[in-house]
Amino acid sequence: MKQWELSRRDFMKKCVIGGVTVYSAPMLLQQHSAVAAGVAPSLAKTWFQDGKPAFRFDAIEKITGEKIYGRDYRAKDIPSWPDTQHHAFIVRAHIADKVYLGLDLDVIPKELMPYKIITAADLQKNDLKLPPFYGDNMLLEKGNVPDYLGHEIAILLFDDFDRFLKAKLMLQFHEHFVKYAPETMALTSASKSPYAGWRIIREESANGSQGEDIYSTYHSGQFFPQYEGQKLIWPKPVKGSSDIGEQGMYLAETLRQDIASNEDWFTLKKEYKTQSIEPMMLEPEAYNGFYDKKSQTLHVVITTQSPQDFYLQAGKVLSESPLTKSIQNLVVHSPYIGGGFGGKDHTIFPYYGMIASIFANAPVRLANNRFEQFQSGLKRHPFHFQNQLAFDKTSLKLQGLVADISLDGGGRENFSSSVTAVGASAIQGIYYIPRNDIVATCLPSHLPTAGSMRGYGSLQSMASLEMMFNEAADEMKVDPFKLRRINAMVNGDKNTQGSLPLENIRYQEMLDLAEKHEIWQNRKTNKAKFDQANPDKSMGTGFGFVTKDYGTGSNAPSSYVGVTPDGKVVVKVFSVEMGTGTDTSQATLVAEYLGQAADNLDIAQIEVFDALEIFDDQSPYLMSQEHQDKMAKNPRWTPMVISASSASQSAFFQSHSTKFAAKILFEESLFLAAKAIWEKQGASGISIEDVSWQDGHLHAEGVEALSLSIICKKAHAQGMITGVMTHGFNRWEWATAKFEINQQSKEYPLDAIAFEYGIGANGTLKTSQNKQGFVVQERQTVNYPEVKLNSAMVRYYTPCLTMVDLAVHKGSGEVEILRTHTWIEPGKVHVLELVEGQIEGGLTMGIGHVLHEALPTDNSGAGNGEWNIDRYKVPFAKDNGVWNLDYTLMPAIEGSDVSKGLAEVVMIPIVPAVVEAIYQATQKRFYHLPITAKDILEANA
Amino acid sequence: MSTLNLTINGKQYGPLEIEPGMPMVNFLHEYLNLTGTKFGCGEGICHACVVIVDNEDGSSSTRRTCISNVMLFNNLKIRTIEGHATKNNVGEIIALHPVQDAFVKNFAFQCGWCAPGFTNETVALIEKLKKQPIPKDNVEQVIEDTLGEHVCRCTGYVRYFKAAKKLILATKGLTV
Repeated sequence: MKQWELSRRDFMKKCVIGGVTVYSAPMLLQQHSAVAAGVAPSLAKTWFQDGKPAFRFDAIEKITGEKIYGRDYRAKDIPSWPDTQHHAFIVRAHIADKVYLGLDLDVIPKELMPYKIITAADLQKNDLKLPPFYGDNMLLEKGNVPDYLGHEIAILLFDDFDRFLKAKLMLQFHEHFVKYAPETMALTSASKSPYAGWRIIREESANGSQGEDIYSTYHSGQFFPQYEGQKLIWPKPVKGSSDIGEQGMYLAETLRQDIASNEDWFTLKKEYKTQSIEPMMLEPEAYNGFYDKKSQTLHVVITTQSPQDFYLQAGKVLSESPLTKSIQNLVVHSPYIGGGFGGKDHTIFPYYGMIASIFANAPVRLANNRFEQFQSGLKRHPFHFQNQLAFDKTSLKLQGLVADISLDGGGRENFSSSVTAVGASAIQGIYYIPRNDIVATCLPSHLPTAGSMRGYGSLQSMASLEMMFNEAADEMKVDPFKLRRINAMVNGDKNTQGSLPLENIRYQEMLDLAEKHEIWQNRKTNKAKFDQANPDKSMGTGFGFVTKDYGTGSNAPSSYVGVTPDGKVVVKVFSVEMGTGTDTSQATLVAEYLGQAADNLDIAQIEVFDALEIFDDQSPYLMSQEHQDKMAKNPRWTPMVISASSASQSAFFQSHSTKFAAKILFEESLFLAAKAIWEKQGASGISIEDVSWQDGHLHAEGVEALSLSIICKKAHAQGMITGVMTHGFNRWEWATAKFEINQQSKEYPLDAIAFEYGIGANGTLKTSQNKQGFVVQERQTVNYPEVKLNSAMVRYYTPCLTMVDLAVHKGSGEVEILRTHTWIEPGKVHVLELVEGQIEGGLTMGIGHVLHEALPTDNSGAGNGEWNIDRYKVPFAKDNGVWNLDYTLMPAIEGSDVSKGLAEVVMIPIVPAVVEAIYQATQKRFYHLPITAKDILEANA
Repeated sequence: MSTLNLTINGKQYGPLEIEPGMPMVNFLHEYLNLTGTKFGCGEGICHACVVIVDNEDGSSSTRRTCISNVMLFNNLKIRTIEGHATKNNVGEIIALHPVQDAFVKNFAFQCGWCAPGFTNETVALIEKLKKQPIPKDNVEQVIEDTLGEHVCRCTGYVRYFKAAKKLILATKGLTV
């Protein structure tokens, strides 16, 4: 008999990788050792009241100190683990230009010795390697120079916390514990190939943006350089060549010559430098793991934004080592995380934990302290921009952009190549640029690994161009709003890649609103009054306007929405909760169709969607159109089964599949069940347009309102659809497909659908169920977005404008944020308070970026293991004008139900806004970040 | 080794033989399995690890547990984040402390790692204001002075501050 109990106590199978079955597991407290027995159901269910969330889905657990984070768990908390807890400590290199000679354990007393020291030799002997994405040299071998500051050298295992803590305190900062040869050597990064070289060239047609481009990445295709050492060799420019590289280079050279020589143009040529930054999420990374040799099962607790990556890659690591190939099962606990900001996306950290577990005699915990997190966690290192922006002196219209961008990719490649591409494609911001040549290069370095954190490169690039716009307006003596109005994109304008942004462009509307705001209108009188009242300070006003892309060009969300016979709503999604409120928004948005929010929500799901029986075969970024057309004929094929979960993706992409699952469930089943109940009561002719949900009941005129539980009971009894699973594919457009549902052909922006039927389902339906209990709906036809759209690089944008009033203290150079106002277009808002919280948090992070946060890029940087927030200054409440932080949410366009990704955009426009406001206050322009009090004092000296 | 006795959330612990140099946050986590107190920086800067110390004179103060050795809490009564909510006879949380309720209903936090520190600091402030009410005009400044050293990386502090202000102004006897 089918069980309908909502149980969170079973492991959920995720996938089978290299013969290892990967499971996810909910975190469970051992009741005998737990502090609290959880939240009473009567209190928990109050999160959703009056048709909206009264608080976050996870709020009570977080505010009461329940064990919900990965770092919280100890062996004794986890069922099926022994209580014994061992501890691990990773030894890391604090220099990167000397040969590593070994460890000197004589620096600690014998009683503090670890029981095992895992070294590169152990890994080599057992063929244990990192997944290819992370590179090689998991542990540094004796006799070699570290690849980067913080390169992992060894893992020490201790069987007792007290001795572990004492030993770690003695060893972590000990000058002689790690032995190096005295000679200074060349950095290993200097001999590695570049991580990336991208070039985005476009020249509009004679008809401007409306005609077919003479040349563009989207229209003509992409080309790449050859590498000679770390030098990029681009094709030679050849006029009229049929080779896209030679042709593109000719147009690029022509643009550069025009910018240098055209006297009708005003050209601003500027250089900008950004800093090395640390995400500084409050929960440092942690891991706990138990290798149960008896059952050949490895259990792990991880703190990552991308558990899917771990599911898919860890099993492969285990299956390829003779030491671990007998492991049959990998059980992954991925609880809530205490902040991520990209710093826990595809992090290498859990793989070190996994290695520790394999060699440990008991469950072993690995937990970074803050110094270790600074030393080893994902960063984003400096960008260097050399930008040239040309305007026609008469029309003030932009004529061209040349940008030469280079960035430091850190010790391991991670996402640096795609960060380079995204940064390059984002630089144009809100502006229409008829000709562009954007070159972006990323080189390896000796700094800690850099990943996707803080805006994926767009923060640095868009801020640089926006600073140029403010300076160009000043230089040309043009009102900055006027200059933006003349050059901001409008509907039909193409981006620098030559593709069309989707949705209506509302930049002019946002400029109008901002220009009318009191901050701008009264800026001169406000400054005069303020400066008179505060003779030791000088006030300035500035603004910035950017538009941040979201989406990866291959997003493939899956969702399940189902109901139990007693009316409980169950939602399962593939996304991860990172603090941004994915759980709350996904649980909430089904209420539009089901009258209530989810009672139960499972995040980070993979294997459950096997019920869709779909498969992929090649990279959706690289496949040919012919291949896609051929494969699309198979109704079980999709370009991508699972895509990575990342910030800014849940509001638009995940919500799409969840919303359609709920919509189909209601329209194709629950409404029909309600109608059947009403017809039995004598009513007739009720159509779906006649009904609405109010107070958890479905209403229609002249009939009794029905509760969801009564409707679900009927749907189950009649064997109707009681669960809908959906899968979508988006390559800057949604794939659409036709399915036969309830004897009618229906078209949805989905490429796979499967149904679950109620307990009264007839024999035919039962026999057609797959082993997961679903019936796959055969796809009749499908339209996938053409593969050419891969060259579009970006098509979804969220615009954001921020204006700031600040004061510069003349004596100290300190900057005080007085007030800010932000205008943003979020589209349809799922949960208002979550959007507002993201605006407030994003703005504060941007203030940290422009004024406070920086790490040195020499040997004294974070990789030396001596950094913490005593030196790396993060913004406090006094730094962001906390009581005067205001915003305007642009109302969604009527009829549009698109929700935009906005987790990152708000941190960007505050950067150029502050730079401009400092200029207005001091008459000094700055071209590097952060702008410190010392910089301002020196500039004014 | 030193002998430790202390009371946490009304429960007596000890005598326990403890390494005297152990940071209190480690003691809470590794010895008592009270992991609601969060480790953030280990330097006393982020204040995620703050707990409340109830003094013998009836006053309360807050203390950072990442930079305070466990023996500094010997013979003291302290409250941690696990001690504020009301529980039923099977240990389930059935009602939140007013400060927790205010933060929750104002969506004050996102990832939540800083929430225990903000909560403990605000609980201590509310209790202090009960004894020493302040003028309404001073509320914002008092909140800035009290919560201003806590680090939050997700929300920009706004919702914590506004929630605390709303609660102080709405609670009888805290302002004059």
